[in-house]
Amino acid sequence: MKHLPKHLQPRWRYLAVELETWPDADVDRRAFQREVWYAAQNLLGDTGSADADATVLRFEHDDGLGHAIVRVRRGQTDAARAALACIGSVDGVPVGLRVTGTSGTVRACEEKYIRGPAEPFEQRHVVFENAERRAVARETRVDVRTDHTFVGATDLDFR
Amino acid sequence: MYEAVHAHPDGDSTVARQALTAAEYGFEGIVVRNHGDDPADYDAAAVADAYGIDVADGVEVRADTTSQASGLVGNHRSKRTVVVVHGGDRAINRFAVENPTVDVLAHPMRDDGDFNHVLANAAAENGVRVEFSLGPVLRDSGGSRVRALQDLRKLRELIEDADAPYVVSADPRSHLELRGPRELIALGERIGFTADQIRGGLEAWGYLVERNRRLTDDSFVEPGVRLDETDG
Repeated sequence: MKHLPKHLQPRWRYLAVELETWPDADVDRRAFQREVWYAAQNLLGDTGSADADATVLRFEHDDGLGHAIVRVRRGQTDAARAALACIGSVDGVPVGLRVTGTSGTVRACEEKYIRGPAEPFEQRHVVFENAERRAVARETRVDVRTDHTFVGATDLDFR
Repeated sequence: MYEAVHAHPDGDSTVARQALTAAEYGFEGIVVRNHGDDPADYDAAAVADAYGIDVADGVEVRADTTSQASGLVGNHRSKRTVVVVHGGDRAINRFAVENPTVDVLAHPMRDDGDFNHVLANAAAENGVRVEFSLGPVLRDSGGSRVRALQDLRKLRELIEDADAPYVVSADPRSHLELRGPRELIALGERIGFTADQIRGGLEAWGYLVERNRRLTDDSFVEPGVRLDETDG
C-alpha cells in the first residue's frame, strides 16, 4: 500500500525500559511483547490498549539484566508507563523494570538511555546466614543461590 | 520520595539491595517495614552512606488480637523510627486508627478488613496515616485485582471525605518488585488518584521519618523547646 503523507503518519514516542531478573532466568522478545500486550489490555482495556499501541522494537536480555525499546503513540506515554509498571513477571519469571527515558526517535533513545553491555558476572562462594552458598556477582550486586531461589544482596552484606 | 520495603528474611532481597535499587529508581529514602517476627539485620548508616539514600528503621506490627498489638506497638515505639500496624482485620484496623502512637495503618482492606467513615475520622483526629497499597494492583490479576481496585476506591473516598492523612506504597518484597516514582504516579492516575496524591503519599513516609527522628533526638524537650549546643 502506498505510504501515508507525512502529516497523516502516526507520531511515535520510544520508551527505554531497563529490566532485571534473577541470573538464571531466560526472557525473550516474544514473551516480553506478550506481557506488554496483556498488561496494557488488563489495565487500559481494549480501547486504551489500541490507543497506546505498545510494540517492543528492541529487546535484549542476558544473565539477569536486559533492556528494551517500546514504541507507543505520542500522548500515550503515561498510559504505557502505567501498563509497563504492572508487568510483574514474564513467562512466570519475576522481573523488575523501570522506564529510564523517552525519546522521539529510536536512535536518540538508544544513545541517551540504553547502557552499553553489562559487565560479565562472576561465580563466587559467599557465607550467607552462616552457610556457604554459591552466588552470582556483578559489580556491587550479588545474587545468592539458596535452596529454592535467590536472595538479592550487595557486596555490603559480605563485609 | 520514600518507599517502604520488606527486606530479607521478610522478603527476597537484603536491605542493601533494596536501597541500591531504590536509589537508582530515584527514591530519596526507604523505610524498612519488616514484620515484627521477621526482623532484618543491617547497618542503616553504612547502607545509606554507600548508596546515597536514607534508610529508616521501621517495623510492621502483626498481631492477632488488639491487646497483643497494643503490647507490640508499645515495645517497638521507643526503638523504631516508623511503627506500622499490619491491617486487614476489623478489630486491628480500629485499634490502629484510635492509637496516636501508631504512624501508619497498612493495607486496611486486605483479607476481610474493611474501613468506614468512623475509622477515617478517627485516623484524621489521631494523625494515623492510612496506607494505599498499590501492591495488588501491580502484581495480582483477574478477580483479586478488581477487588483490590474496588477497595482502593472505597478507601480513597473515605480518606478524602475525612481529610485523613495517608501514605502510598507498592509494598515491595524484593528489589524486583520495586517500581519507580514516575511509574507509580502514572499508575495512580489510571486508577483514579491524582498525581499529587501519589506523590504526597510517597513523600509522607519522609515526613514521618524526619518528624520521628526529631522527636526522639536527645535535644528535644517538648514541642517548641529543644536544647541547643553551646560552648561552656
